[in-house]
Amino acid sequence: PWPHIQRPKRPQEQSKKKPRTIPFGDGWWGVGEKTLSEDQKIYPFQVETSDKEIEDLYERIDRTRYADPLEDGRFHYGFNSTYLKKVVSYWRHEFDWKKQVAVLNKYPHFKTKIEGLDVHFIHVRPPHRENQKVLPIMIVHGWPGSFYEFYKILPLLTQSRDGVVFEVICPSIPGYGFSEASHKKGFNSLAAARIFLKLMERLGFSQFYLQGGDWGSLITTNMAQMKPQCVKGLHLNMCMSNRGFKVLLSLLIGPYLPFLVGLSREDVRRLFPFFEKNVFEMLRESGYLHIQATKPDTAGCGVNDSPVGLAAWILEKFSSWADLKNRDLEDGGLERKFSLDDLLTNVMIYWTTGSITSSMRFYKENLGSNLNNRVDFKTEIFVPTGFAAFPNELMHCPKSWAQIRYRNIQSYTFMPRGGHFAAFEEPQLLADDLFNFVKKVEKS
Amino acid sequence: MFTEVLLALVIGGLIYFLVQRSKNQVLTTEDGWWGSGAPCDAGEDDTIRSFRVTTSDQELEDLYRRIDLTRPFPSLEDSQFNYGFNSQYLQKVVSYWRNEFDWRKQVDKLNLYPHFKTKIEGIDIHYLHVKPKKVPEGTSAVPLIMVHGWPGSFYEFYGLIPLLTDPSNPHDLVFEVVCPSIPGYGFSEAPNKKGFNSVCAARIFHKLMKRLGFQQYYAHGGDWGWLVTTNMAQLEPKTVKGLHLNFAPPSKPGLSMALSMMLGRHFPKLFGFTDFDIQRLFPCMEKLVVESIKETGYMHIQATKPDTVGRGLNDSPVGLAAYILEKFSTWTSHDFRNLDDGGLTRKFSLDDLLTNIMIYWTSGCIISSMRFYKENFGQGLDAPHAKIPVFVPTGFACFPNELMHTPKLWVKQKYRKLVTFTPMDRGGHFAAMEEPQLMAEDIQKFTKILCISYLQWIL
Repeated sequence: PWPHIQRPKRPQEQSKKKPRTIPFGDGWWGVGEKTLSEDQKIYPFQVETSDKEIEDLYERIDRTRYADPLEDGRFHYGFNSTYLKKVVSYWRHEFDWKKQVAVLNKYPHFKTKIEGLDVHFIHVRPPHRENQKVLPIMIVHGWPGSFYEFYKILPLLTQSRDGVVFEVICPSIPGYGFSEASHKKGFNSLAAARIFLKLMERLGFSQFYLQGGDWGSLITTNMAQMKPQCVKGLHLNMCMSNRGFKVLLSLLIGPYLPFLVGLSREDVRRLFPFFEKNVFEMLRESGYLHIQATKPDTAGCGVNDSPVGLAAWILEKFSSWADLKNRDLEDGGLERKFSLDDLLTNVMIYWTTGSITSSMRFYKENLGSNLNNRVDFKTEIFVPTGFAAFPNELMHCPKSWAQIRYRNIQSYTFMPRGGHFAAFEEPQLLADDLFNFVKKVEKS
Repeated sequence: MFTEVLLALVIGGLIYFLVQRSKNQVLTTEDGWWGSGAPCDAGEDDTIRSFRVTTSDQELEDLYRRIDLTRPFPSLEDSQFNYGFNSQYLQKVVSYWRNEFDWRKQVDKLNLYPHFKTKIEGIDIHYLHVKPKKVPEGTSAVPLIMVHGWPGSFYEFYGLIPLLTDPSNPHDLVFEVVCPSIPGYGFSEAPNKKGFNSVCAARIFHKLMKRLGFQQYYAHGGDWGWLVTTNMAQLEPKTVKGLHLNFAPPSKPGLSMALSMMLGRHFPKLFGFTDFDIQRLFPCMEKLVVESIKETGYMHIQATKPDTVGRGLNDSPVGLAAYILEKFSTWTSHDFRNLDDGGLTRKFSLDDLLTNIMIYWTSGCIISSMRFYKENFGQGLDAPHAKIPVFVPTGFACFPNELMHTPKLWVKQKYRKLVTFTPMDRGGHFAAMEEPQLMAEDIQKFTKILCISYLQWIL
């Protein structure tokens, strides 16, 4: 998702009168009318597959009708067809989905009904709890990712460090993977945030940490805005920054006198030349966002029948968003940071659940109308916040910009390497930063 | 006194010089080669080969199998066509396609007109060439090239062609029509090299017409056809006798256009705005900017990642149908977004709509058709042809539900010799297919005026 433009605010407007929370509200997303009572039980869940499912996948892969890429097109026209054939050949002949399903099931999965929808999550308890401070944390994924992105970081978080260890909840956003999709219009990040807060309550957690990137960063931010008393700390690897007078000023003066506008040397390096790096690059990379935010049902239709089409659509992002320079490579640099097994497991989660269309609808529900007029974009965040700024993230957000809305930043770290899929690419770096942030918060 | 006069003369001379320069500005282009590998040294094969559209049991079985494998996903309650093509209505269309649509019969219909292929700049160019059956004594048929757009094809003109080649009114002109497929669309081979844009297509179509023996001809186009025929007029203004368009979005807002956007609502007469112009253009933010953003997602992704977006559509006929038919719904009237069935069959028959889709499906050209967006927009909106006006006599048919409404003032900004401007009573973006009668009448009207002026000029 996308940083948004906000109308400039005068300093006086940021006064004490502003609300410190956003309304909790309520919702119903199931079929038809709301039922009188809801089943609150939590059911264990196992990911399953069948020979039939795998044969159907193979038949479709075998029916793929390839088109040659343009000579020397590389990844500039989208996912290169020649390299796609290699990926698909691996998928067809070497990728072992049954083995990957066993990998998925190594953590306990559950489902529970909230606001009319089956919400899926994994709940990972640390193996050793004695004499440890066990901190509950919910980590929320984004698009086109899933809970599976966190499988590399989970072992690091459930391993205690200096007496601190995490108990991790990773839900799937409704409409993604094994979480049921909404049947009603209007399911946006506020609804997801509320559902996840209800989930934590149902699991018996009154206070917890949150971590998120991509849509996860918006949803966890909303959670911190709705019930700040429950959120001990908020850790983000992507920030949807506001634009406003302050930001505009720092863009104009930043290249010449960065310290005057709160920009560090590293900020300058990552931000400028602004137009080229941010505006043009974003235009080149946001076609998917534009079509998903306007016509998700059309865009999802073809890729729900064609596994190769789905793989191209999703994996193109894992190429470009890890490093924009990957577009110059014949193979999109895909296997430099990720293994094909991991990438295809993520794709299979979208494929076997047929959730691509509903995952795209989330864009329309959030971005379809002016986001800046939404209550959460006008409200500040006061819970202790930590930012991990990865160098190849789609859009760099300096600390001074984040501070416009996040008023209690406890840590802000320039990461040495990594892009948008931080937990997937650099789990060690992200885990280190998360532990450091949490230790700071726990001390105070 | 003397200095003022001198200054006025100098300024006057400068303006005259600049005006003359822009008048003489002709679009230039270099030759191209789009086949795979390097061009062969031996000359190009320029024979014209007859072509027939064919199908096979295998092709149909493969299509039906894929349709049967579709995994539909229900649309949200009460969302109509506001999230894209409605899933419930799509099932109805697909059921017709699977059980009642007769592709063999449609193939016969396609073959009613003679098809040909010929190699130009390394790729096979497909086109229809329809000669009139009878031409009145002492006259000759008027040569006309008609160019389609996306997601259309030469098939959009099937209702219009007979009205031009075999008009019922004896006073109407008789046309000889050539309908090519843009390279990368339908039965025209796709370019193998990067950089194939509208100017390249225009150049290739000029070569085609010359190869067919035409020295001068008229051109008609809508959607991409608008840009390709405009480029043809810019490349060779002496060859294109007249340019007829039903779509002409301004590429570079000039002073008069900007002024009219700011003041047009309050001083419509100053800019020649009709009530209808006001209704379609104002408030500008909502009607021009917001509406455009809502409807240009496809353009944005096709102009940046065509290979990714086309990938799934080339395997899933239902996905392809949803993607293409959504345009036939929304671009015929924006109000159709609020209908459960998208108003699809109000102006078109399912047979015609599916035939167009089958052309994309059987030729597997969806990816190459999308690349045209990247090749044209990829470098930004500042291409040389956007800065050069058109001095070829132009006729504009203004259909009320066209995607981008262009009032007369805006059309004249680029098309300096606007001979006819006809506000139509009904019709949208796919005007030739929706309202062939109205379109034929306007082409007749436009061409007759030019023929008469030509006669008057030589007599």
